[in-house]
Amino acid sequence: MSSPSQPPRSALVAKLTRPVARPLAATYRWVDERMGISDLTHQLLYEAVPRRGAWSYSLGSATLIIIVLQIVTGMFLLWTYVPSTTEAWESLNFIEHHDEFAAIVRGMHLWGAYVLLFVIGLHMIRTFVSGSYKKPRELNWIVGVILFLLVLGLGITGAMLPWDQAAYWTATVVTHVVDYIPFFGNWTQEILRGGPQMGPETLTRFFAIHIWLLPALLVPLIGLHLILLRRHGEHGSWVNYEGVESETEGERATRMAEAEYPYPAVPSDPGYAVPMDLDDFFPSQVFKDATVSFVLVLIIFVMAVVVGAPLERAANPAALNYVPTPEWFFLPLDQLLVQFPQAWMIPVGVFVLPGIGTTLLMLVPFLDRSPEREPWRRPEVMVPALFAILFLIFEALLAVNRLFNL
Amino acid sequence: MTPPTLVAAASPHLVAIPISTGMATALVALLMLTHIQFAAFQQGGYIILAVTDFIGWKGKDARKDRFSKGLVTVLGATFAFGSTLAIFATLILFLGLWSQFFVELVRIMFWPLIVEAIAFVGEIICLYTLYSQWDKLGRVRPLRVGLELLLFINASIQMLAINVVASYMLTPRPSNSLALNLLNPTEIPLELHRFVGNIAFDGAMIALVGGIRLLLAKGPEGKAYGDWIGHYGLVYAVGFTIAQPLIGWEYAKEIQLHAYASWYSMMLGGLSVAFLFQVFLLGAIFTVGIFYLWRRVRASGFRAPTLAVCAALSFASWLLIATPSSLAWSYEDVVAANANVPIWQGGLIIPWGQMIPFKLVALIVFTGVAIVAVTVYLKHVSKGELRWGDAGRGQAAALITVAIAISLMMALMGYIREHSRAPFLITDKVLINQQQNFNPPSSAGPALDGPAGVGIIMPWDSGP
Ligand code: HEM
Repeated sequence: MSSPSQPPRSALVAKLTRPVARPLAATYRWVDERMGISDLTHQLLYEAVPRRGAWSYSLGSATLIIIVLQIVTGMFLLWTYVPSTTEAWESLNFIEHHDEFAAIVRGMHLWGAYVLLFVIGLHMIRTFVSGSYKKPRELNWIVGVILFLLVLGLGITGAMLPWDQAAYWTATVVTHVVDYIPFFGNWTQEILRGGPQMGPETLTRFFAIHIWLLPALLVPLIGLHLILLRRHGEHGSWVNYEGVESETEGERATRMAEAEYPYPAVPSDPGYAVPMDLDDFFPSQVFKDATVSFVLVLIIFVMAVVVGAPLERAANPAALNYVPTPEWFFLPLDQLLVQFPQAWMIPVGVFVLPGIGTTLLMLVPFLDRSPEREPWRRPEVMVPALFAILFLIFEALLAVNRLFNL
Repeated sequence: MTPPTLVAAASPHLVAIPISTGMATALVALLMLTHIQFAAFQQGGYIILAVTDFIGWKGKDARKDRFSKGLVTVLGATFAFGSTLAIFATLILFLGLWSQFFVELVRIMFWPLIVEAIAFVGEIICLYTLYSQWDKLGRVRPLRVGLELLLFINASIQMLAINVVASYMLTPRPSNSLALNLLNPTEIPLELHRFVGNIAFDGAMIALVGGIRLLLAKGPEGKAYGDWIGHYGLVYAVGFTIAQPLIGWEYAKEIQLHAYASWYSMMLGGLSVAFLFQVFLLGAIFTVGIFYLWRRVRASGFRAPTLAVCAALSFASWLLIATPSSLAWSYEDVVAANANVPIWQGGLIIPWGQMIPFKLVALIVFTGVAIVAVTVYLKHVSKGELRWGDAGRGQAAALITVAIAISLMMALMGYIREHSRAPFLITDKVLINQQQNFNPPSSAGPALDGPAGVGIIMPWDSGP
């Protein structure tokens, strides 16, 4: 669209491009009349977002972009990868030695997963600190927690697919630990392994879980997350609501009346339905989102080229002295497991404590129901969360220490 | 390089320092324990300085600005004294009294010590720039906070380097690989333990200043400031101590795996008495600390039933389970009482790491109760319920008590760590009684790990 303030295009350029531009524009109009692309784009791009703290709101879209990257690189990997215990390792070994492009794609899939888990963690911390889970966004927080669990699931199932030593023994440990689930342990173990022992079916099952079961849950849930986000509008962070407590009724009413789409958020704690200062999603927020996502994708690419993805020797069930090391995002859990020296206590470490942690995480919006958004006025959630995060970091570091010194 | 013993033997004109092994050990210990208190104060202080200056700037809080300026002045002075102690320790005590150990250590740890020396220079530059240009730098606040962070990083690098040395002495790797020796089994646990502990210790020292100021304050303004300082320090002191039992537990586990004799002596043998005293001190820190939190809220006229319950719980577990009389003195006593069987068979042993339950129960109670107490207290603070200046002499005494307990705790930990290796200075490698250069290695002692003075371990060297 051209606006009056735009400088006129050079006549020469216009003349030169006309033969291409005209039919293109006509085609676009034809399609648009039938599909309403312009309307849709307008609807998607033109909304208000909070102005302050906007860089931190780009973590959600960065997560989204990396998930898309994972889907694309995953599709490319499927061109070569063979999901069978006899050929999975061979096919990746072939990539590593004879197909540079695919090796980079494989590296991007691995580093993409690492960066994704990191960024999703930051996104969670940011929405937690800013109190974004509060009324009316409680359900979106819960959807977020489920998304996080699904991404973790994708991470662990993906680690098993190369069927090298690391993959095989990770799969062995994971399916062994599952056996500790009270009552259903054996049953779940057999479902995952495809029988009482590890075997060809085990890989087939983890492959199926990784490439369709979890994505089939993930993609619609991301859709729901975004629909809910659009419905309530971005809450942003507490800095956008400074002074709501001292506002007069009149001031608040004016703010509500003048609210731009998609605000005001309903239902809402009084004062928090509309951020104080708004900005346009396009181009302001889109620019920030694009910048952050671009930098992250660049990091993923560089790591893929420089470090790549490891491939150990092919799986060897007879190599009993092999010590599997978990992926870094499971290190805290691995260390937690070591705290329980007796076999009968293992379920406490693997299921009870993480289960309590996950349940508490889901219940955060219902445990912290005050309208207060400022983090230092919410010590009741901030202090325990700080300890929880420190605990996870400490456990991970101690796990590194232990594994390095085995 | 020729080993120092040989130098002494070959050069009769070199006079040995006429001091007994026991005296030498006591001197080194005294100096090192004092030095550690200063070093911990610096490293923990820098991060508290950066955090306080930052939140003072963002929150436009004049009290925090005043505090930051005071803290930087103190840190400048304590640094001067503390580093003099360190240099004295290295030049005179280590080289003079423990020369074998020192030469061997420098051979293995040459590179970490070089890194430490460089970071020491970095610390001097940052600290004295801040010290002398505080107000001017205040005009460019991000720069000042950045410099404070840099200062903290420099001190942390030094702590890392010295932790590598200290942990190596307890759990050395039988190898010439620098990487393996750097990341030896107790390096990370010690790092975490000290990192958290230093902040707690600093908080305690700040609380001490607050307590003394409260007692000595003349006018309401001085009292309000002392009250606030005390509260501010105590939150760091108790808050960070909460993480210590867990980290300490995992640290002990690595020692159990990699230096069993030391672990045995600490947990079950002769030093377990010192460990009982340590649990007792921890009980004092938490109980008196939580008592302060409760009374401080009450002093401003608000009821705080949860804090009262926390204080009572902590007190009960302190009295009932964290006193030496409630705990088996040592494992030998447990065995002598035929109590070294599982608790469900009438014994004292719980499955959790085959431990005697009291210590563990006390640690769990203290940790849980303290998390709740700090959270509830901060909620009162965030609601603006506390008026600074309301605190009385009781709270001042509590602040001072917590500070003394934490300081004693640090010294005790140092004592335990250094004694747990006995008779070694470096586990399985260097004996304490091999130290004096007039005192040749006893035939009963183990040989040094390779001939001493063979050469510095380089980053590219690998084991064994
Ligand atoms: C597949 C993973 C996820 C994707 C693609 C995703 C995407 C997004 C996007 C694009 C936004 C808006 C921009 C922003 O505020 O950052 C958002 C907001 C939000 N997300 Fe996520 N997210 C994911 C996971 C999570 C998780 C794990 C949680 C928390 C447990 C979470 C909780 C929230 C909340 C509460 C908001 C609203 C923020 C506000 O309004 O201030 N999300 N998400």
